Amino acid sequence: TLLSNYGDKKLYFPEIKEEMLAEEAEEAKKRREEEEEEAKERKAQRQRLAIEELVQTEKNYLKMLQICSVNIRSNLKQLQPPPANLDSLFLYIEDVMDVSRRLLSLFNQTHLQPEDPHYLETLCNSFLSLSSDIEAAYKEYLANYNNISVVENGYKQKEALWKEIIRVIKLSAPEVNATSLSFFLVMPVQQITRYPLLLQTIQKHTEPAHPAYALLEQTAHTSIALNCRINEYKRFREVADKYKKTESLTIRDKINRLNTHSIAKKTARFSQHLKHETGIKPKLVDEEFDAFEGFFNILENGILVLLENVEQYLLHLQRFLTCKTEEFDFEMDGEKSPICYKEITTALRQWILPTFEKRTRTLVHKPLCALRDLLVGPRNLIRKRLDKLLDFEMIESKSNLSYEEQAVANTYRTINTLLLNELPRFNGLALQLIWSMLGTFSCLHRDLAADMEQMFQSFAQQLPHSSLDPSAFWKWAESEVLESGRKLQTVCRSVEDSLNAPAVQPLSPSSQRRLKQLTDKHGSGKIYQVMSTVAGSRDLDLNLTRGEFVAVISEADTRGDKRRWLVDAGGRRGYVSSSKLIRYHQAMEDPPPSPLLNTPLDVTERRRHSYTPVYKPMNVMSQPCFQVMAAYSFTARGNHEVSVQAGEPVRVLEPHDKRGNPEWSLVEATGGQRGYVPSNYLTVMPMGAEPPGFRVF
Amino acid sequence: MSWIPFKIGQPKKQIVSKTVERDFEREYEKLQKLEDQTKKLHKDMKKSTEADLAMSKAAVKISADLLNNPLCEQDQAFLESMTALDTAMKRMDAFNQEKVNQIQKTVIDPLKKYSGVFPSLNMAVKRREQALQDYKRLQSKVEKYEEKEKTGPVMVKLHQANEELKPVKEDFEAKNKQLLDEMPKFYQSRIDYFQPSFEALIRAQVVYFTEMYTIFSDLTDQIDPAGLTDEQRQRETEAKLSELRSLSIVAND
Repeated sequence: TLLSNYGDKKLYFPEIKEEMLAEEAEEAKKRREEEEEEAKERKAQRQRLAIEELVQTEKNYLKMLQICSVNIRSNLKQLQPPPANLDSLFLYIEDVMDVSRRLLSLFNQTHLQPEDPHYLETLCNSFLSLSSDIEAAYKEYLANYNNISVVENGYKQKEALWKEIIRVIKLSAPEVNATSLSFFLVMPVQQITRYPLLLQTIQKHTEPAHPAYALLEQTAHTSIALNCRINEYKRFREVADKYKKTESLTIRDKINRLNTHSIAKKTARFSQHLKHETGIKPKLVDEEFDAFEGFFNILENGILVLLENVEQYLLHLQRFLTCKTEEFDFEMDGEKSPICYKEITTALRQWILPTFEKRTRTLVHKPLCALRDLLVGPRNLIRKRLDKLLDFEMIESKSNLSYEEQAVANTYRTINTLLLNELPRFNGLALQLIWSMLGTFSCLHRDLAADMEQMFQSFAQQLPHSSLDPSAFWKWAESEVLESGRKLQTVCRSVEDSLNAPAVQPLSPSSQRRLKQLTDKHGSGKIYQVMSTVAGSRDLDLNLTRGEFVAVISEADTRGDKRRWLVDAGGRRGYVSSSKLIRYHQAMEDPPPSPLLNTPLDVTERRRHSYTPVYKPMNVMSQPCFQVMAAYSFTARGNHEVSVQAGEPVRVLEPHDKRGNPEWSLVEATGGQRGYVPSNYLTVMPMGAEPPGFRVF
Repeated sequence: MSWIPFKIGQPKKQIVSKTVERDFEREYEKLQKLEDQTKKLHKDMKKSTEADLAMSKAAVKISADLLNNPLCEQDQAFLESMTALDTAMKRMDAFNQEKVNQIQKTVIDPLKKYSGVFPSLNMAVKRREQALQDYKRLQSKVEKYEEKEKTGPVMVKLHQANEELKPVKEDFEAKNKQLLDEMPKFYQSRIDYFQPSFEALIRAQVVYFTEMYTIFSDLTDQIDPAGLTDEQRQRETEAKLSELRSLSIVAND
């Protein structure tokens, strides 16, 4: 923002500051409003485009159908001999075309433009008013589509005939790249599944406040409901056509004739096992009863486990339905493959899979729950019988039973008889139920796959690589992905390298002082520079600004975390994240000693991107066109140095010290005093360089 | 330089024109939206794949647990049905796993890689912004000195200020140009980048559902060939449940 330009400079003129701030706020507000307007305009444009897409798609679709059912058909009729069952291909296409024509004419009726808010209303009402006719036309077409495939496949078997057909197609529709009849004939299958996505795309770009929003939502829902019902009808017709209800010894008979008596006898051991567990073992052993009870036990267990598993299955199914992977927007709506993916996934998630879920709940889960509830009665009765049996055992051997004892005996006998009679019936029926529910479950899967397959047929033509066989396709896809990944890495690297270097800047005197101080104390190998301003968040963390120099004391904290370094920031000590620091290489690795000391210094190489001092030692003798000045103030620390003020012109006597060290220069200051100053404190000003008003003293 | 009073850090000379700045922002916004959408799709695809795998495993558990139940062993026909169901579920699970592997390689991993570029890009935009701020600050400093009376110290400071400004200006201009170049190119690259992924997604599902159709058609022919409608099934089920309910041992509580 503009305000950030103020930074932390002291503002010496508060009234001006107020004025400036107000102006800036005005400007910012205007800009925001402009941007909002633009964003609204962009959204409105997207909505318009989406609406136009709906209308245009319908137009193109109708045109294609007409080419096929009129041009191609009449040309095919003229072939000698004409292809068999040709008319069967076009049985239901007229109704579909008719409803499409009516839809388009309703769209056009009001003569409104898409920009008009009422246009959307007209669109939705047109669709809604025709929805039952659309359903009627498309359900017959889709239910019959398999026959179309069968007939066309028949044609494909005859090479010569198929060649002729292709020739006719290319002749009748040269501008269309079609290589089969199904290219055209599959279009109604496609179109009906397109409506939900087209309508939802309009909805996505429409404000909820729009007057037609609720109507649009209703229309989108209707288009989904249409698809559900059309698919349901298709299934109904398949079943009715295929199975003529002749009952032979099929699996159903096998289910219905389940012989639970013979099964039960084999399961006696399980009953004993259970009794061992409970620690109760009656003396009176009734083998037949034990067999039935054993069967009941494993049946009960089976039902409970099955129900739990089905519920888990449905849970994951629901989770899958909530991950709407078709909702992304990469602004790639002009590309075939993402659009196809969206259409397929929308269909899968919004009606095909939900229908599967609903049928599974109704035909499998609900009956299983009901069956589980029915287990309670027999289970309780079995328990009761056992209790009574134990009582009965105690009195059984007696010859003279009291009245109460008679009652106990009778109760036991009644329960026992009841269970003996009915338990096998229960077991048998329950098993039949489970068996048929599993058969249903299989059928539901088949229907799900059939729905998806029919949809895929309409997309196969559109995708560029769909003709590749599987291994070729995956090889292509995987190599593309690898190549793209490589390209991406290159982009990433180039962005990182060139764009992330901090700007080059000369050092301010305070920075130089800090640098000197830290280097003196810790040595030049420990000097780092802060790459971006950091505010400490934890205890003992430092706040540091970008460009500050610090000396590293320890490359890990007290807990051994190597990403958190202990640094000296010129007196303050604390922690900073190591990722914020970059090693600073100095041109002069150690501070220049006083000019009277002996040791020459090594100059280490400069790092390209570090902050480099701009001022180099000047080897200027008395050249009249340049004026040397002190760029910064310097205070002499000893007799051999001289103090100068920033901006003071000086005369350089010698650009090095007595040892030849160029880091110090012998100068004569304005007052006539002579002494050494650091060479990098000096600068050269061109004399006579002429911005207007420039004066040389 | 705190001894020089500053009114504002805003230079008079317009460094970056309003249109260029707006274009820059627009391009960057597009990239930010793409970043969000890429992350979202990546997340959704991962969750969806997890749910898909879990569903398939749950289906296998249904048939496996039934097959393990001794109930099965007692009737040959029932055992054959359950075995066929179990085989079908296991085969579907294998196909599902293969589908998921392919999707992982050709869709989910590329999505993640693509997202990985954005942090660098965002950082580069930040650095450009920083460079711009430095540029503006130093530019206004130079302007301030240029307005002042041309004394010696002022000239020195002006010279220094210009020296300071130069590298910063160059740095900003380099960064600006590169980003203005790279951003639209990168945005455009998404089309070619993701094309194979979407095709792969579709193809993987085509294969999977084709297999599912074959496997479950065969299975249904074997264990549920009667071809009842949903209504008929419900009636049958209800009939059996009613029969069960009519038993005394059930009503008894």
